[in-house]
Amino acid sequence: MRGEPILEVKGLQVEIPVEGAVLRPVRGVDLSVSRGETVAVVGESGCGKSLTALAIMGLLPRAARYTCERITLKGEALTNASPRRWRQLRGDRIAMIFQDPMTALDPCYRIGDQMREILQQHRRISSQAARERSLELLRKVGIPSPEERLSQFPHQLSGGLRQRVMIAMALLCEPELIIADEPTTALDVTIQAQILRLLREIQRDTGIGLILITHDLGVVAGMADRIVVMYGGEVVEVGACDDILSRPLHPYTEGLMRSIPVPGQTKRGDLLGFIPGIVPRQVGERTRCGFIDRCPYAVESCATGPVPLSAVGNGREVRCAIPAEKRDPQAWNRLAEAS
Amino acid sequence: MTNDVLIMRGVTREYAVGGPFAKKKTLKALRGIDLTVSRGQTLGLVGESGCGKSTLAKILLGVEEPTAGIVLVDGRPLNSYDRLERAKLIQPVFQDPYSSLNPRMTVEAIISAPLAVRGVGTRVSRRKRVEELAAEVGLPRHLVDAYPSQLSGGQRQRVAIARALIGEPKILICDEPTSALDVSVQSQILNLLHRLKQELNLTMILISHNLAVVHHLADEVAVMYLGQIVERGPSEEIFERPHHPYTDALLKAVLIPRPGSRLPDLGLQAEFPSPLNPPSGCAFHPRCPYAQADCSRIAPATRGEQRSYRCHYPLNLVEASLTSAAS
Repeated sequence: MRGEPILEVKGLQVEIPVEGAVLRPVRGVDLSVSRGETVAVVGESGCGKSLTALAIMGLLPRAARYTCERITLKGEALTNASPRRWRQLRGDRIAMIFQDPMTALDPCYRIGDQMREILQQHRRISSQAARERSLELLRKVGIPSPEERLSQFPHQLSGGLRQRVMIAMALLCEPELIIADEPTTALDVTIQAQILRLLREIQRDTGIGLILITHDLGVVAGMADRIVVMYGGEVVEVGACDDILSRPLHPYTEGLMRSIPVPGQTKRGDLLGFIPGIVPRQVGERTRCGFIDRCPYAVESCATGPVPLSAVGNGREVRCAIPAEKRDPQAWNRLAEAS
Repeated sequence: MTNDVLIMRGVTREYAVGGPFAKKKTLKALRGIDLTVSRGQTLGLVGESGCGKSTLAKILLGVEEPTAGIVLVDGRPLNSYDRLERAKLIQPVFQDPYSSLNPRMTVEAIISAPLAVRGVGTRVSRRKRVEELAAEVGLPRHLVDAYPSQLSGGQRQRVAIARALIGEPKILICDEPTSALDVSVQSQILNLLHRLKQELNLTMILISHNLAVVHHLADEVAVMYLGQIVERGPSEEIFERPHHPYTDALLKAVLIPRPGSRLPDLGLQAEFPSPLNPPSGCAFHPRCPYAQADCSRIAPATRGEQRSYRCHYPLNLVEASLTSAAS
């Protein structure tokens, strides 16, 4: 059913030593992306989604350590790749699109120079040919008068144009995988729709695998084939996009869906759902369910040990010990009234 | 008439930009804003970055003076109030509770500051009031003695709201009150704002680029484009039957977390124009999918009273003519 796998991540863990403790922001994450597939990694701040992306790109901060069973890109193990090998891979076979194009582009270099540098880093290519290729891509991402843009600096472009330049740069070497970390969060809504459509068209045409990291379930609904929901450094739910949106199985996903006001569905002043409490600090081993303190369904047995991610059929996996049919449908309402 | 807490007439704000090496230009951030807000109403102000919504908020807070036009609050010109009086009338809640609270003050000191600077009450009575308000905004009592760094984002925003409310202001200005927060926390703050609005009969100006948030809280909506209000009316009507093509595009751009939903094609041409060099005629014409020849020459005037819009070919009339042509 799915195409050949491009990226496979198994058992990824990230540890960051801090004063007197070890933070464990990513705890055994599995992730796979196939050709032409968009996988959305969804979660709130501190859930470990961005660190997961950085680990895949080999860009973790120096203080962080990571271990994993394997990370493979088209069968090649990346776990022990040398810094030299990483430099060959990044920008060529894996590319990243960051949230804020103003800080991701170098303010001191012209757009054309930044694009040429990427090409000449990875290909034996003349400056003239690099210029041609850059122009071709700027046109492809819908940038008006691309010749002019090549000689401009990032600050001379609007936010939407800068993000288009970022996408063009990511596509320069025809990568197999693109990781987009909140690619439209810094943009206006009208620009967001255009950029997302552009990303999806390009991906359909080229068969690139796309990992989309976002907290916005609206963006996910329009873009993703599969969703991976993360909470507290763990994957708590995996499934096809439409399946999860129509019937979330993990209480956290359920809580997220209930918190979003939707014009046309919720009315003005409707009491919105919410998830009580805050994300706990991720230290030490898991000895019980990671969501237990915020879960409206939690029972005593949730505290007896860590909850495994288990398959529930139809390609879905969920990390919850309480099956959907045994949950009290009134639990969320009681929670809202109690507040 | 006395029910109108805030009246703005022809409010314009211009900035001179360009330094010693660049040509001096005039940036018109606001180009003649007329706005009336009645007591107890929530006005949602929407538009893209650069449309002037934050400049409008700054003028209301007295941080900026309008270049032309008048602002009346409670029937008196805004600039006839002195600073303390103005602070008692109008209070802000900012976007980022991480940078808008003083990290070296306790929550109690932050919340009670508006009373302390005016010398209202004693320390003991202020403390009592802070505790009442903390309960009102859902802040656990023990956090009153904490510092902002010990609080989560949602709790910090509750502190910001309590601080804004302690002086019992007439108008609360919320500039993107939830966009720095996670979704599951955002909904709690929205619930809180809605409850406070009803209990205290607050007048609120809600500035947000998130139309779902505006839909959830606002009674009335004003859509801004390049320093002008291009459409205004009761929230339900704006969301159900937008007249201005720009409003229509903004509404289509809301991404709904529903299975099978598609990415919208907004049909918008080009990019948001520079406020330094606004297009001729209707400012929206270079991007408008319905623009006709005269849109680039003649600026449309505001039409309608309760439900007003600035467009030569509003969607309601275009649709009406299409159906009459078909029949």
